[in-house]
Amino acid sequence: MSLAPVTAAIPRGVSTSNQQKVAPWANSLAATGVPVFLLLVFLLAYPTPACALEPTSPFDDLASHATAARDQGNLALAIELYSRAEQLKPDWAEGWFYLGLLQYSSNAFPSAIDAFNHFLLIQPGAAPALALRGLSEFETGAYEDALRDLEQGVAEGAANEPRNEQIIRYHFAQLLTRAGRFEDAITQYQFFAAKHINNPDLQLGLGLAGMRVQALPKDTPAEDRAFLQSVGSAGYTFLSGDSDGAQKQFNQLIAGNPSSPELFFFYGVLLFSHSPDLAIDQFRNEVALAPGSPYAHAMLAYSLMIAGRYVEARQDAQRALAVAPDMEMAQIALGRSLAEQGDTQRAAELLNQVLQRDPDNLEAHMGLAAIYSRSGRREDAYRERKVCLGLAQ
Amino acid sequence: MSAKFVLVSRSNFMRQVTRACMALLAVLLFQSPPGHLAFTQSPKPPAQPVTCATCHTGLVAAYAHAAMRNALESPGQDPILESHPNLSVHLGGYSYSVQTKDGRSTYTVSDGTDSLTLPIRWIFGQHSQTWVLEKDGNYYESLVSYFKLEQGLATTPGDGNIVPHSLNEAIGRKISVWEVIQCFNCHATDATDEAKLTFDKLSPGLGCKRCHLGAEQHMVDAVRNNFTTIPKPLKTMTAEDAANFCGQCHRTWESAVRNHWHGQADVRFQPYRLENSKCFTGNDQRISCLACHDPHQPINTNLAFYDSKCLACHAALKTSDPSSLAKTCPVGKANCINCHMPKVELPGGHAAFTDHQIRIVYPGDPYPD
Repeated sequence: MSLAPVTAAIPRGVSTSNQQKVAPWANSLAATGVPVFLLLVFLLAYPTPACALEPTSPFDDLASHATAARDQGNLALAIELYSRAEQLKPDWAEGWFYLGLLQYSSNAFPSAIDAFNHFLLIQPGAAPALALRGLSEFETGAYEDALRDLEQGVAEGAANEPRNEQIIRYHFAQLLTRAGRFEDAITQYQFFAAKHINNPDLQLGLGLAGMRVQALPKDTPAEDRAFLQSVGSAGYTFLSGDSDGAQKQFNQLIAGNPSSPELFFFYGVLLFSHSPDLAIDQFRNEVALAPGSPYAHAMLAYSLMIAGRYVEARQDAQRALAVAPDMEMAQIALGRSLAEQGDTQRAAELLNQVLQRDPDNLEAHMGLAAIYSRSGRREDAYRERKVCLGLAQ
Repeated sequence: MSAKFVLVSRSNFMRQVTRACMALLAVLLFQSPPGHLAFTQSPKPPAQPVTCATCHTGLVAAYAHAAMRNALESPGQDPILESHPNLSVHLGGYSYSVQTKDGRSTYTVSDGTDSLTLPIRWIFGQHSQTWVLEKDGNYYESLVSYFKLEQGLATTPGDGNIVPHSLNEAIGRKISVWEVIQCFNCHATDATDEAKLTFDKLSPGLGCKRCHLGAEQHMVDAVRNNFTTIPKPLKTMTAEDAANFCGQCHRTWESAVRNHWHGQADVRFQPYRLENSKCFTGNDQRISCLACHDPHQPINTNLAFYDSKCLACHAALKTSDPSSLAKTCPVGKANCINCHMPKVELPGGHAAFTDHQIRIVYPGDPYPD
């Protein structure tokens, strides 16, 4: 199995001849079993430039020749002509986009970033440019910038084009893992499992996210790779819908690595999305293995809360908060737990603490809605429910 | 396919409770040997196996006709398939037929050249029904269902976008084991044990113990005159608790919000819709699911039946009780839900669902989502 080639719909006036070039990330993937990728060509949502039709000025002439050079696959000449055209008309958005795209295709990532910077000043929030700048930043090692751009690009719809989705999500998932946003990373890897796209790189990436290792696959020590791939494989099996197969794989992993932290936790996180009840046992095992882990206690408390087992949730939420007093998940679990046990004042305080830091926290608003509803504050409950419905849109 | 709540008036409900109590009393009186003390001191196992009906005779008898009790049927016991032994439809290039003979039902799909026949083992729904099929260890929601309105087969609601490319795909929507567990948890009793399906223990429909946790222990103890383990009474739940309890299957407000469910299809999630109502208050039993619905009874389709439920809050003010300060309707005093809980017909749904989001509906208003 391998990642599918990543291309995009060809915009009007853009030749396909330059698809002979191979982007560097494609080379790196190819070297690890992923087939060679074609040039990433993003659809630009504006029409073919007028200059391509009838040159009437030096700028139009340069732009026309740049387009022709690009169509002929002469990337070096196209880059030079686009650069000169931009000197004449720095607000030419399309020129900056193609300049960035061509430089990205030529492995000139710092120059590509610069071109996309110009483009995004003219067209802020343009999803294809954000994604391409993010991928360029990834190659230069500017991982925080890459994460920001890819996240915004995905939010703006950059991954909606099926042929671009794989490469964007793969890099986005790696960056999320590196940033410690493991659950978000797993969500991105789920896309591949749902489409039965599998390979050792994806397994390694998913294994890192599952075992909560803040690292990129390329930086993973060789001696750790086999184990992490096995973990990723078990996770992939689960995400692809084979729960029995995943259970067997996880049981084998746990039997072979009984004291390895995070294995129970990873399995619990996977189960949680289908059944918080089933996840509870896994988080309990993790807590037994790592009693000092606030995450394990918080997830256990949170799962118990979702399952409506509020009394049990309280203790683990308190344990998590003893180590990490600002952990939102534990505050919400404790707040809901206290509310169900009658301490609505302390419960509301905790939930409002969460909302002070994160005003759009859905669970905190849901908790307040429940508190107000139970205490007969109909108008307040209705207001909070409306907020929740708005957040859930 | 979700089980529907059944309805009964409060007075009917009280009659049922009274009848059940009298039945229990009668059982105790007539089954106990002379001198009740003798029975308690020297318990003898009853001649007949003890069931819930042993004491709660009337309740169990009524519940036998309720939708939840019949949320899942076994082949051979299903009156619809028995009375419609040859059902067929042609959809999207495939022919489907459901045939019943000698108490056995089969589901066949054909592309004109080849065909595939699977036994129907699980029938979901009392009136309209969908079948869960098994092939090679995988489970499928049948791509066609039986609809009461048309008395025939049509595409299963929600599956209208499926375009099968093979006989296997034409069977129906392949469902994950998690979804299978959820389906059976809400349509059967003892169908699952944590993450495992336990079809060997399954009994179709929702038995008493599915809601009344501890009912089995209560039966064991009651025979010995021990009534300390009576299951937690459910009719005293607050509106919030009732919505969450019923929402285990009918979907809670929180689960709908957490899962970002939108669109008209969520009209089927009655607790979610009810809690969206301006008048819903978690501590007021007048807006509880159980204020209108008795799950032990078949659903009451008489709209006027529900008027008293609405008027419990919206009647003209007679007291200074602030909780009675709900507005009165300037338009009418009868058939409240006809206007305030409009029916919603889902595309391909073959039925209209009552929207439990109680509100003032203006002409042309979009579905509040």
